[in-house]
Amino acid sequence: MEQNGPLIEIRDLTVEYWQGDRWNPVVENLSLHINPAETLGLVGESGCGKSTTANALLGYRPRSARYRSGHVFFGGQDLLRLSDSALQRIRGRQISFVPQNPTTALSPGIHVGDQIVEALMVHHYSKTAHEARERALDLLTRVGLPNASTIFKRYPHQLSGGQQQRVIIAMALACDPQLIVLDEPTTGLDVTTQAQILDLLMDLQSSYGLAMLYVTHNLGVVAQICTRIGVMYAGQIVEVAPRNVIFKQPLHPYTQGLIASVPRITAPAQLRSLLLRGLLKRDELPAGCPFAPRCGFAQEVCFTQSQHLVEVGRDHAVACWRWQEIPSLAQRLAETQSVAFRQCERPSCQPDEVLLKVENLGAAYTVQQRHLFARPIPRLIVDGVSFDIRPGETFALVGESGSGKSTIARALNGFIPYVTGNLRFDGQYDLTIPVDKRTRNLLRELQLVFQNPDASLNPRQRISQIIGRPLQMFFGLSGAALRRRVEELLEDVRLDRRYYDRFPDELSGGERQRVAIARALAAEPKLMLCDEVLSALDVSVQANIIELLAELQAKRNVAYLFISHDLAVVRSLAHRVGVLYWGALCEVGTTEEVFSPPFHPYTYLLLSAVPEADPDQVMPEARKDIGLIISEDKPACPFALRCPWKSASHCNDEPPPWQTLSRTHMLRCHIPVEELRQHDVWTDRFKRA
Amino acid sequence: MTSSAATRKFVTRAELGKSLGRVRRLPWTLVLGSVLLTIYILVAITGPLWAPFPYDRIGTGKPFAPPNAKNLLGTDQMGRDLFSRVVHGAGHELFLALTSTALAVVLGGFLGLLSGFVGGWFDEILMRLFEVLISIPVLVFALLVIMAAGLEASGNEWLLVGVVALVWLPRTGRMARSVAIDLVTRDYVLVARARGESAWSIVWRELLPNATGVLLVEFGVRAGYAPILIGSLGFLGLGVRPPTPEWGLMISENRANLVAAPYTVLAPALALSGLVISLNMFTDGLARVLGRQVKRF
Repeated sequence: MEQNGPLIEIRDLTVEYWQGDRWNPVVENLSLHINPAETLGLVGESGCGKSTTANALLGYRPRSARYRSGHVFFGGQDLLRLSDSALQRIRGRQISFVPQNPTTALSPGIHVGDQIVEALMVHHYSKTAHEARERALDLLTRVGLPNASTIFKRYPHQLSGGQQQRVIIAMALACDPQLIVLDEPTTGLDVTTQAQILDLLMDLQSSYGLAMLYVTHNLGVVAQICTRIGVMYAGQIVEVAPRNVIFKQPLHPYTQGLIASVPRITAPAQLRSLLLRGLLKRDELPAGCPFAPRCGFAQEVCFTQSQHLVEVGRDHAVACWRWQEIPSLAQRLAETQSVAFRQCERPSCQPDEVLLKVENLGAAYTVQQRHLFARPIPRLIVDGVSFDIRPGETFALVGESGSGKSTIARALNGFIPYVTGNLRFDGQYDLTIPVDKRTRNLLRELQLVFQNPDASLNPRQRISQIIGRPLQMFFGLSGAALRRRVEELLEDVRLDRRYYDRFPDELSGGERQRVAIARALAAEPKLMLCDEVLSALDVSVQANIIELLAELQAKRNVAYLFISHDLAVVRSLAHRVGVLYWGALCEVGTTEEVFSPPFHPYTYLLLSAVPEADPDQVMPEARKDIGLIISEDKPACPFALRCPWKSASHCNDEPPPWQTLSRTHMLRCHIPVEELRQHDVWTDRFKRA
Repeated sequence: MTSSAATRKFVTRAELGKSLGRVRRLPWTLVLGSVLLTIYILVAITGPLWAPFPYDRIGTGKPFAPPNAKNLLGTDQMGRDLFSRVVHGAGHELFLALTSTALAVVLGGFLGLLSGFVGGWFDEILMRLFEVLISIPVLVFALLVIMAAGLEASGNEWLLVGVVALVWLPRTGRMARSVAIDLVTRDYVLVARARGESAWSIVWRELLPNATGVLLVEFGVRAGYAPILIGSLGFLGLGVRPPTPEWGLMISENRANLVAAPYTVLAPALALSGLVISLNMFTDGLARVLGRQVKRF
């Protein structure tokens, strides 16, 4: 193998999928190389062919796909022309793979240690079982699982998501590969866990000199970890450049739009999605540049003639006919009218008017005892949470998974068997009563929108039935009046009337989420509970939905309880924020107050873990963090076990006091405010460790 | 206004084209299954008109005559024409198998979905009851039901339908419940509950459309077994009575002659297995079409 050339090279790759009646290209004439010891990031919206490209590096394709043309050169061989057995010797040995979902990637019935040993033995990397075991233990230690011998004997379900992903990475490292292909390895994880995994990957890369291909839709992650970044659109690479160049001087209009539409954690968000209009429609691609239909600069030539990547600078290539004429991103942003999502000034809203008042909420699930006649015991998930929501306001609850965010939403909806506390809604309703005992009017005023529109829309009902049902039930509409109202609602969420008779699976993810929002709006609610409504969507679609939610709020004065783990989105959308840890609130305030010092230690940790789409910013504290801990004995301050600034033992023993900073801002911590004020996450983010 | 009307018309036409296109891409199992089933149904309806002999005519040929020009499939021990008996039997077979299975799938499906959705004590009691019913061997259970109805009622076709339905009901019920248990955790069911929908409405609107595929396959399998059960009962003298040309009964009657005259068993057995296979192909194909997801990127 030549020393100076790329480690692996894709040349003119075209991959097609069988679509029932014809072959459809998913990746077209794609060329790409990865140098030794380099991390190449591959970003793009869902459906752009990122994963297909990543799979091609392993010579893998699903049964319904075929390689129409192209080569993947690795070590002087073309992987696409190797036999299965020859490929098997390379996969896992020289090129290994880390998939998105560690829960399904690990075999549930085998000790995780044995799964690593298996990889070592299959490739004859270790000669004896004993040697393999020793190496597996060593690997587990190296990926940051300190008590390796205990972890070795665990089953996957006994590990947290972050630990599982570490095991997978250990498995990928097992045979000292030259290249690791990572397909969205942190997408399902919390920001704090994600920060740790990214840190581990950066660490491994610098100590082993590995080459990596990192596939993700998250621009913040690539800004942290990758040395070079390729941007994909509709199966083609539209721009490839080193990290700093991509983020500072993106040339392709799609790259510019993508970077502009990422919600920023560091600045109050503004409506910048204007730079990226429309949606990728695979079946309506022109003969020329695939981005032309969505591009503001497209001319005749863009539609008719395809453009290949041209070298425009050192290591910088772009596929655009007009790259020399397109203004820079900074210039375009300056020219675009920036509109804040939140219009805080709502004249109709009285500051003291309260729509939902939650006092001392406790919510518990029941655990069935082993004995036949034992009463089920309640297990407290949420304990002593108080907040209120005003009419027409967005209140956000943030926290890691397992913190009890969704439990609060379900408790408000009456789905939780044990609810205590004082929950008053709209002045007259008591929300502690279960859902099947609520009056029709209460049910109508409180509506739900879920994270995953695939699961929240019945796949066997038409859009008209889905949106029409609440109208029938609550307003008794039928016939032409019903149809007219459904069409109005479709228009309100900016969907075409033609969708009336479609089934949900004929719509894209973002459109389905709009249908779910329309269904909730149909009931004309006063409060909508939005549980992670944006996290299943692409950035550009996210920006559109945020815009829609803000617009609907201004128009209909509906309040949102917005549950999210994405702090950047929360900063864009919420008027006030509550930070939740282990079932208890630790900070409440207006968005500006929560996102500026003094920070509660946990808020600080969360904010510092968010990877920003800016290579100059790092994730300072998050690297030392250990992740959400839930154990049997809860200390008086739930965060004490994990707090980076924990001062004395009274954190464990005495419940922390609520410190009031302003009429709206409160945080619950033993540490004096003056001391907390010294930690500013925004300046810390620019300090490199 | 005119432009929107024009668009709508255009869309309808496009959708029509799409559904015509879908017909061409139907699964082959559905196409073959429906062709075969149509043949069975045609034979069942028109058979008595063109069958060469009445089903109970004795001595149409020598006893145990092998297939020949006069007796196309040979004759049984009484010299009855097997071809005519198989043709005449088609109607009985289809009526008994389809009615009883349909009854079981509709009732069992409804109870199972409801039980899976409601949960709690209702589910607990109903499922234990179903399990008790399932644990009794099929024939013993059928005998018990017939005895309870009284011996004089045995041989009544409606009683047979009821018996077979009762045997299948707890089995399809459990199947439907297992589907419902999975479906009720979906968010759309949660949304429906939060909207205040009744249990009946949730079962009907939210669960049933998603369970039809499974229930149809269940129908196909059970409808295939039904003739066997009916035949066994006939053999014990509790099913349809001779000389009714019921295929299962014919197999039982002639099983002693299997070695000497295999065609006496072969003719009804082939007819029966052909019915089972075409039913299965049809329902399998139907389930595929109903469950088909539109492929997108």
